[in-house]
Amino acid sequence: MATAIPNPSTIEYAGGTLAREQVSLWRDGLRRLRRNRLALAAAIYLGLLVLVGLVSLFWTPYKPNVIGACPTYELPSGAHPFGCDDLGRDSLSRLMVGTQVSLAVGVATAFIVLLVGVVVGLIAGYFRGVVDAIFSLLINIFYGVPPLLVAVALYVLLGPGLINIIIAISATVWMDMARLTRGQALTIREREFIEAARAGGARAGKIVFGHILPNALGPIIVQATFVIPIAILTAAFLSFLGFGVPPPRADWGGMANEGLPSLQGGFDPYILLFPALALSITLLAFNFFGDGLRDAFDPRQKR
Amino acid sequence: MLTRGTLIYIGQRLLLIVFTLLAVSFGVFAVVHTLPGSAFVSERVHGQALQILLHEYGLDQPIPVQYWHFLQGVVHGDLGVSLYIRGLPITPLVLRELSVSAMLGGAALVVTIGLGITFGVLAAVRQNTWVDYLLTSIAVIGYSVPSFVIASLGILIFGQWLNNITHGALYYPEPWTGTYGSLIELSLPAIALGFYTSGQITRITRAAMLDVIQQDYIRTARAKGLENRVVIIRHALRNALVPVTSILGPTVISIITGSVVIENIFGIPGLGKEFVESIFQHDYNVTVGVFTVYALLIGFANLAVDLVYTVIDPRIRY
Repeated sequence: MATAIPNPSTIEYAGGTLAREQVSLWRDGLRRLRRNRLALAAAIYLGLLVLVGLVSLFWTPYKPNVIGACPTYELPSGAHPFGCDDLGRDSLSRLMVGTQVSLAVGVATAFIVLLVGVVVGLIAGYFRGVVDAIFSLLINIFYGVPPLLVAVALYVLLGPGLINIIIAISATVWMDMARLTRGQALTIREREFIEAARAGGARAGKIVFGHILPNALGPIIVQATFVIPIAILTAAFLSFLGFGVPPPRADWGGMANEGLPSLQGGFDPYILLFPALALSITLLAFNFFGDGLRDAFDPRQKR
Repeated sequence: MLTRGTLIYIGQRLLLIVFTLLAVSFGVFAVVHTLPGSAFVSERVHGQALQILLHEYGLDQPIPVQYWHFLQGVVHGDLGVSLYIRGLPITPLVLRELSVSAMLGGAALVVTIGLGITFGVLAAVRQNTWVDYLLTSIAVIGYSVPSFVIASLGILIFGQWLNNITHGALYYPEPWTGTYGSLIELSLPAIALGFYTSGQITRITRAAMLDVIQQDYIRTARAKGLENRVVIIRHALRNALVPVTSILGPTVISIITGSVVIENIFGIPGLGKEFVESIFQHDYNVTVGVFTVYALLIGFANLAVDLVYTVIDPRIRY
């Protein structure tokens, strides 16, 4: 045992050695995340939301799109806990189905943005020069137009539909991810281990995706979780303006839009209030969860 | 302040604005003119009458030619004529709507900066007390709750409940009446619009203040016996404002985005409402015009923010 290299984090005491458990970066982050109660509560809420979304695929208390399933403008009651809308559809059922749209838009957009932003950012940051200049100009042009307007224009061009909404929103929110990844690539490419890889004869693809990407992953994942609430919010804005999933399919922004006249008319605010509440709580949860993730996995970044 | 470097920088930025404007207007122009439907569909004109109409508005020409004519107009400050309200010149229309939107946006910006900086400073000064927790929670709520939700709640509370309780003495009048609306009419939309971005500003102000407060010169200021209020406002806040300025650009874009929704809720005759209407009415000349004005607005807003930077922090040079 005399040849063993002493571990600096090992404390010897009478009766044995007390070593700090060796954990990976990810395990460590996960532990920090679990200690953050707000983030944990948010995660539980989001888990339940996913469950509601899944259940609503197979079962809702009433048929969500059947007109006249309950009395028009019925206020919340025992049979219809969230009331009924202007066409006599059960609001609870529609809220449940609306979960699908919000979650789908949020997650799918995050994936597309992750893919596009990371590839663009890595290429621009690693190759620099002309490639970087072109991508940076593109990013700057996209920053120069109001995102919601671009989304509306794309929505009108592509036509209604869930997938088109996702594409339209992705086109307006990919720049932050690209800029972040580019910055990461710019700094990481100067580090010694990249030089070593290059000296060892690794090809550019191997260096970019095998060495730079894994080391930039923390901030990238954190950024991706913040894309989800932004996408859900943009989708809600779109459908609130009338550019949502085609009716009769329920989504929260569209439901809020349908409820606006009866709120302004002063006879039934609940048609708007419940989807608005659902949206707000969900966005809050995603933001709290994202904050927790950032504190856990990206401790260098302070905000 | 206006050194040669700054002037070169301004020149570069103006070039970028022009380039963005060209790219945006061409992109929107091309997209918009390939869209299905036209402003004339509802008028049931067919055959030769339609051809005459298309020719009258230059819509029978190829898109690059149309775009060239559009650009020639833009150089002279002419954005063309509306297709929906036939022959109505767009430039005066858009300028009037811009002034309405600018008033709303300006009020929202005041709300955002006022709320954001006040909350941020208070939270930092009372770090880790209930004040801090309350204000930071309000900030997260601010950028999580969509502005149309805040607006609807405002209408519900001030337009209806307060009205019922006070029997009409306190009442938020809605919708908007004149072109510009009264101060009371302006208040609710401005707050609904400004609340969203105030959350981000609160966060950044708080973080920046906490950073600054720990520095030596603050201790020095306290040591020489300055009142706490003076230390915070005159010494700490000024330096904490630098990072805050950096998100003013995104804040302005957020407010412009939000104004589209808010204007539609409150019936405010601004650019955002016009944009949505022009899409629904297939009035594509107006759509292109509004887009162009927005891109111009954002370009200059970002430039202005960069210049404000140099005023707040003289160390920054371009």
